[in-house]
Amino acid sequence: MIEVLQHQIQYIALAVMGITYISKIIWILKFKPMKERTPAKGSHSKAIIASFLCIAMPWTMESTTKKWYKWLEFAIFHIGIAIAITASFLIPEARNLMTPKVILIFKLFIAASFLILLIRSYRRIFIPVNRIISHPDDYFSLLLMLVWFFAAFFAMDLNEKSIFFASYFVLTALLIIYVPFSKMSHYILWPFSRYYFGKHFGHRGTYPKIS
Amino acid sequence: MFKEIKTTEKAQKATESFKKKMMRQTILSFGVCVHCGMCTESCHYYLATHDPKMSPAYKADRVRKLYKKYFDWTGRLLPKWVGGGDLHSDGDLQELMDIVYGSCTMCRRCSFNCPMGVDKALLIRTGRAILTEQGIAPQGIIDVSKDQWEVGNQMGVTDEDYLETIAWLNEELQAELDDPNASIPMDKMNCNIVYAVNPREIKYAPMSLLAAAKIFHVAKESWTMASKGWDNTNFGLFSGDNKLGAFMGNLVYDSVERLNGKMLVTSECGHGYRATAWESPNWTGRDLNFPIYNLLEIMTGYVKSGRIKLDKSLNQYKVTYHDPCNLGRSGGITEEPRFLLQRSVSDFREMYPNRADNFCCTGGGGAMSMSEYSKRRLETAIVKANQLKETGAEIVATACHNCVDGLTDLIKHYKLKMKVSLVGELVANALVYDKMYIAPEHKIEPLAQHQVLVIDDDPDVILFLTTLLEDNGYRTLSAESNETALKVLEDNKPDLITLDLIMPGKSGLTFYHTLRTNDKLKDIPVVIVSGVNPENPGQYDTRSFIYQHSLPRPEGYIEKPVNRELLLMTIEKIINLKVSKR
Repeated sequence: MIEVLQHQIQYIALAVMGITYISKIIWILKFKPMKERTPAKGSHSKAIIASFLCIAMPWTMESTTKKWYKWLEFAIFHIGIAIAITASFLIPEARNLMTPKVILIFKLFIAASFLILLIRSYRRIFIPVNRIISHPDDYFSLLLMLVWFFAAFFAMDLNEKSIFFASYFVLTALLIIYVPFSKMSHYILWPFSRYYFGKHFGHRGTYPKIS
Repeated sequence: MFKEIKTTEKAQKATESFKKKMMRQTILSFGVCVHCGMCTESCHYYLATHDPKMSPAYKADRVRKLYKKYFDWTGRLLPKWVGGGDLHSDGDLQELMDIVYGSCTMCRRCSFNCPMGVDKALLIRTGRAILTEQGIAPQGIIDVSKDQWEVGNQMGVTDEDYLETIAWLNEELQAELDDPNASIPMDKMNCNIVYAVNPREIKYAPMSLLAAAKIFHVAKESWTMASKGWDNTNFGLFSGDNKLGAFMGNLVYDSVERLNGKMLVTSECGHGYRATAWESPNWTGRDLNFPIYNLLEIMTGYVKSGRIKLDKSLNQYKVTYHDPCNLGRSGGITEEPRFLLQRSVSDFREMYPNRADNFCCTGGGGAMSMSEYSKRRLETAIVKANQLKETGAEIVATACHNCVDGLTDLIKHYKLKMKVSLVGELVANALVYDKMYIAPEHKIEPLAQHQVLVIDDDPDVILFLTTLLEDNGYRTLSAESNETALKVLEDNKPDLITLDLIMPGKSGLTFYHTLRTNDKLKDIPVVIVSGVNPENPGQYDTRSFIYQHSLPRPEGYIEKPVNRELLLMTIEKIINLKVSKR
């Protein structure tokens, strides 16, 4: 059973994700883009690059400068996701790479991500300005990730008999399939939206910002 | 049992219209939001009220719900799961109007603070567009849009009034420069610049056009104004009506082509510049064969190339600069005004935050025409008021007529010791040119046949105004109350009325309503000469009043303490226009 979860189920989930990702991209491209008929005042390429890099440059936005801790949460949390997903492939395919040191680092990030999700859950449930913009999908995505990180943390012990080990693989497959249908699909939309943001404001010479 | 919800025709049409408006950028901005709330504190509506419903994400969600229901993959099956929803009733449409018009100026400050790249202003404008198509918008937006459609400019200025005003300004320019060759050219062919203005400059703020004309003259520029298609403003930007946007754009572009101008220059109007330079080419689908600049860019070029010289000692003021959203965030003009102010005022100081991070003047997105939301606008203006106060400046310079109105309103409301000026006016005042400017004594014109009725409850003001007018050749009548004024008007028909708004008994605005709705009196031009009620600064909001009652605008508006020159210029202009119409 564990074998099936680690291999077949994972690859089926990946295939579903691949198909839905491609479908989503085709769907996005079906919509006509708005085009500028004026000559550009600024540089498209500079602005597009800056628009992508803003994710790694919190000082370029007032929101991430003032709420630097939220940016830090974002960074750690997304590293945690990358680690937990990577681990789901390393464990069955390259377990020799899962040395005690690697496991320790993975566990640290996974635990930190779990804690960050708890903080985010608190905000979404108890802070009115966050609660008012939250829908069932926002709560469910949080819950799913919380359970997934929880299982992932214990699964890093590599004990195949543990309930957490099996749960981790089931949840990873579920997550991979659910992502394109949830708010987590921002993974697919983000590169496009940042591209057009940079292009639009770069065209008008307002981005990258002058300060 | 499920209760069947009936959808009204308007709501259904609005939804259908929404479905047709989806472009790639729009679906991305609708789809990518993760509800992280990072945008919340970038919005002055939220910062001033701390009302969760004022957060940009919430406001965008009111429009986004349609995307979620009709476009989102999951939302098409399970709309509630992802926040999808419909518009059912006319009440839903009104509620949406309150959000997209009444609680967002489309300043794009939140867009610049969104890690996901959501352009919320684009989403809000989409919301406005679907409502406009159903005839739903604040009355002021409807009135102004109608004027643009029917008359070709946002203040309904007739061709005759426009040309007469320019002719009058021409004389003023010659008098000010003491140069009979100075002029505001009209319909001159093959000029370097075709200059398009905001109708406010024709109707209420001629000083800014005069300043631009002075700068062009000193720079020896080859320029002209157009008799048709001269309004650079565009309410299509605010209402989401791309057809109006294209109509106004075409009017201005046609005038440049008709006159064979080399470039189009827009005056200091933030949204006018954005609409004319960036949006209208897209709305009209035209590939223009001439460039479009803002006056700020032209003036900067003059200074850099030595075509004009500035002496900052001529403006001994502490001056700060307010970046208009449509020039700063949406137009790419942030450094030019600073370059000019650093050279034309003795003490230039920055406002923080500034440039693309600046806060809206609170009058953007057409907010100055939406009297329904004036109270909320002024309440949220506390953010801007605090920002202004911290500069310690005496003058806040800006480059947008809308911002001038928005800032003036909030300065009055929060009792700040500050005035608003356009950058061009400060530059014109700092101009150094061969003939040293000496303020001309106002000419006494043979206006004795013209009579002005001064209505004010303060006898000292009546004495001051009647003396000033009589010294300048006018005959005067006066009344200390509106009731007395009505009696005076039974036996007299003055050529103009100056009206104080703060009066005991019937307010000046009620009296204004009486005047404008009385067949015998409605043609008498009115210049409001009024101050602010210190106990209730927003009490006499003329703009709100005229929009609420769909009244014609007063011919002039002068604030107390009265600037003698401005009052005389305004009255002279109005009477000259009246005479020429006879």
